Amino acid sequence: MASLLSLKGLHKSYFNEEIETAVLHGIDLDIEKGEFIAIMGPSGSGKSTLMHILGFLDRPTTGTYHFLGEDTAGKNDDELAAIRATKVSFVFQAFHLLPRATVLENVLLPLLYHPGIAPADRENYAQKAIASVGLSDRATFFSSQLSGGQKQRVAIARALVTEPELIFADEPTGNLDSASGLQVMEVLEKLNQAGHTIILVTHERTTAEFADRIVHIKDGLIESDTRTHERRRAGADVKLK
Amino acid sequence: MHFSDLLSTASKSLQRNIAKSTLTMLGIVIGVGSVVLMSSVGASMEKVILSQISSLGSRSMVIFPGSEQEGGASQVFAGHDSLTFDDIERLEQLTTIESVAPIVFMSGPVKRGREESSAQILGAHPNFFSNQNMEAAEGRLLDIYDNDRAARFAVLGPDVKEELFGESDPLGKEITVGDSSFTVVGVAQALGSQFFQNADDRVYVPLSVARQATGQKYANYITMLATASFDVAFADVQGLLRDRHKIENPEDDPEKDDFIVHSSEQANAILSSVSLGLTMFITTVAAISLLVGGIGIMNIMLVTVTERTREIGLRKAIGARPRDILLQFLAESVALTLLGGIIGLVFGLVFAYLIAIIAQSFLSTYVFAVSVPSMVASVVMAALTGIVFGISPARKASLLDPVESLRYE
Ligand SMILES: Nc1ncnc2c1ncn2[C@@H]1O[C@H](COP(=O)(O)OP(=O)(O)O)[C@@H](O)[C@H]1O
Ligand SMILES: [Mg+2]
Repeated sequence: MASLLSLKGLHKSYFNEEIETAVLHGIDLDIEKGEFIAIMGPSGSGKSTLMHILGFLDRPTTGTYHFLGEDTAGKNDDELAAIRATKVSFVFQAFHLLPRATVLENVLLPLLYHPGIAPADRENYAQKAIASVGLSDRATFFSSQLSGGQKQRVAIARALVTEPELIFADEPTGNLDSASGLQVMEVLEKLNQAGHTIILVTHERTTAEFADRIVHIKDGLIESDTRTHERRRAGADVKLK
Repeated sequence: MHFSDLLSTASKSLQRNIAKSTLTMLGIVIGVGSVVLMSSVGASMEKVILSQISSLGSRSMVIFPGSEQEGGASQVFAGHDSLTFDDIERLEQLTTIESVAPIVFMSGPVKRGREESSAQILGAHPNFFSNQNMEAAEGRLLDIYDNDRAARFAVLGPDVKEELFGESDPLGKEITVGDSSFTVVGVAQALGSQFFQNADDRVYVPLSVARQATGQKYANYITMLATASFDVAFADVQGLLRDRHKIENPEDDPEKDDFIVHSSEQANAILSSVSLGLTMFITTVAAISLLVGGIGIMNIMLVTVTERTREIGLRKAIGARPRDILLQFLAESVALTLLGGIIGLVFGLVFAYLIAIIAQSFLSTYVFAVSVPSMVASVVMAALTGIVFGISPARKASLLDPVESLRYE
């Protein structure tokens, strides 16, 4: 498998009024295309911080980050925005849907910032993404009219619509009851089987078990990195309900 | 981000926050509305005055007795008899003057049977009608033969005709003016108001008749028509009258003269200074209201940015560049002010139209008029206000940190 990203000696400190809070203390991590990887660890261990750096929402303090073979150091804000617009997507614990907009409008949103998809094609992309999370019949609903699980599936559709290289999901089931959480995880699993690379951040064992590989973080360092099962995406033997 | 996306994003955001958008626009609506309203009323008044001036013609001049006091008020009482008929004979001889028409007022009620009118009675030289570009609506006006014969003929203003005769035909009928009986030979065309006096509530009789009745050796006022330009005629008239009245006035102090010369050109000059004043007043009102409206917009946009911090964080997470966010919020504030401006424009026009309808019942020459430059300028200024006062909130939004914004509660 081709390498998607590679971290070497990554450190991250926050500086608030001269006070340094060191969060990540030297992370080495390689992720390949097509992986479904869970980053686990207790609250405050630096999982979200790592995900924000991997997703170009934040920058490392020191260390190198290669994405698709390219060093990302020295990229300016506009270049990072362009990567976020086209190559990576996020699913957040709090959904972050526009409440007074419809499902379709929410899913269309990232295409506003995508230079490669023509305005005339946007609706097709959005309907396809909505269909792949099973919400075609809700496309014209306002997001405030949906259940939590449905909202998170809309957020996944929004992440999918730009056909990114990599989808991040930060505690995607954190605000959901276990049944809808399960549904959301099944959607992510299906996406991975369809070829999407997914990086899941969670502190729940049961959620992490959907991934093929689990990276444990503790106090800003990788504690363990284990493959839980053989790569399933190539195998036709695993069937979804 | 495409330009059309910018517009649709801004309009969607404004629709989602319709109540707040409306409140935000209110200041701009009122500002632009009042400017459009005032400029329209100003344009209407200008038309009213201009129509009077043009009905008089640009070569037309009027001489009143008396002296002009400081501040422009005329003092007619001192020297009300200064314009003698000897003066008038000499004025007629000036080459720069084409025609001279003295007026002598007559008093006494105007009656027809039991109907009575409080009309003003003008003993008018026949030149008066041509100087004023007047025509007869019915019958004829007075001519030089009527004057020579001192014929007891009268021409009625349309209001007097209405008062005394209603719908019936006045021509050839008798009316009483003062003590004597006059035959109505015509009805003058409607003039409307001239310098805010009703010029239709008048009865015209021959000048010679009025002179006989009053025994006056002087005219109450004189209308004249200059041969060519007013300026030369003015100097001639002034020189002649000062000479004859033995007035030394090399410094042209109007208080020293015992006559006042008015012309439509002067009225034009006064009008343009009045309209300049009005323009400056409207501009000041516009500037103040847009400033107030703009500060309102800025405050609300700052609140909006804070309220929508999470939305901004999300937009950044899905790839919006700082400039996309900046333009989005700028587009929203410009859309607000532009829309506010257009709504204000419509309200201003509607109110100006209503005012015109009401004003027409008092002032028949009042017409609904608009000032297109004021309308365009106020809407453009409103849009500019959106940029000027929207830039700082938009910048604030564009500089928000995505991670912190997403975490914002
Ligand atoms: N902007 C910040 N300034 C200072 N400290 C921060 C900031 N953001 C996060 N932290 C700290 O970094 C640590 C890791 O946070 P985070 O990555 O959100 O943890 P996790 O997602 O694993 O729960 C926490 O102790 C948190 O308080
Ligand atoms: Mg976290």
